Amino acid sequence: MATTNASVTINSDISSYPITISKTMTMTKGANPSVGLEETTGLRTKKFTSDTAAVIVEADELTADAAHKVYIRNSSTSRANFFYVAYNASAAAAATAETIGKLYGGDWMLFPYNGSTNITVASSTTSETQFLEYMVFADGIVAAKG
Amino acid sequence: MATTATINITSSDLMPGSSLNVSANTTLTKAGVTADLDQKESGVIKLVTGTEYRLGPLATEMSGDAHDISSYLYICNNTTEDATYYVDWGINETMIGRLYAGDWMFIPWNASDDAAEIELEPQGGTNIIEYCFFNSDFILPTAAS
Repeated sequence: MATTNASVTINSDISSYPITISKTMTMTKGANPSVGLEETTGLRTKKFTSDTAAVIVEADELTADAAHKVYIRNSSTSRANFFYVAYNASAAAAATAETIGKLYGGDWMLFPYNGSTNITVASSTTSETQFLEYMVFADGIVAAKG
Repeated sequence: MATTATINITSSDLMPGSSLNVSANTTLTKAGVTADLDQKESGVIKLVTGTEYRLGPLATEMSGDAHDISSYLYICNNTTEDATYYVDWGINETMIGRLYAGDWMFIPWNASDDAAEIELEPQGGTNIIEYCFFNSDFILPTAAS
């Protein structure tokens, strides 16, 4: 059994009383929350030079309806450009069902994922190259057949 | 009025040949610019099973007619009663994943259309949810005259 911990710290002084959110979780299996996730796609880095939508997580390679977690980071630096990130078979755009949000340069996200539909992204720009880092912590990977 | 979000993911044995240590930090800003976000909404709620709930504001309250905004959402399932409890989370009744007791998530949210609310459906028993939205577009409902 592997142990994978994810910690988040959010600091904000939007309010007159600053807030700090700090939380650590251990990633565990859905069917057995006392057992850590044991599989991963590994950390991938992908360069995007067009705004064509692309699937970065294929649902059919993962056990469906499970307790996966997906980490995505736009490792570019521009706050003017972003990636749409969608829970959709093949599309990611402003009003795609269901686009989750826009990941600007430097932004990251971590979310639980049931592995039932692809995760698709699309760069907002064709004039600047953007880079995406992503990794699935899997509650079951369906190995590709030769 | 800066808001920063930092993540650190570590594991010494998930990939035994290469210890995992992923760390990232970002400053949350308004859409497309470097100006800081300046509004937030947060809370703690208990959700009982059998119902699907909307978390936080309506998509229209987040964005007016604009939609496709820049906002960020933190959710933590603070349930301690039973580790098998979870909430299905999704947008516009499309469930995307399961947030188990003790788990947290952090996402950008663009409130893509009028129906694109964040939705939670608790499973197992009563789940205790802590959340915080960071944004620049939140619009209060107009008061009845």
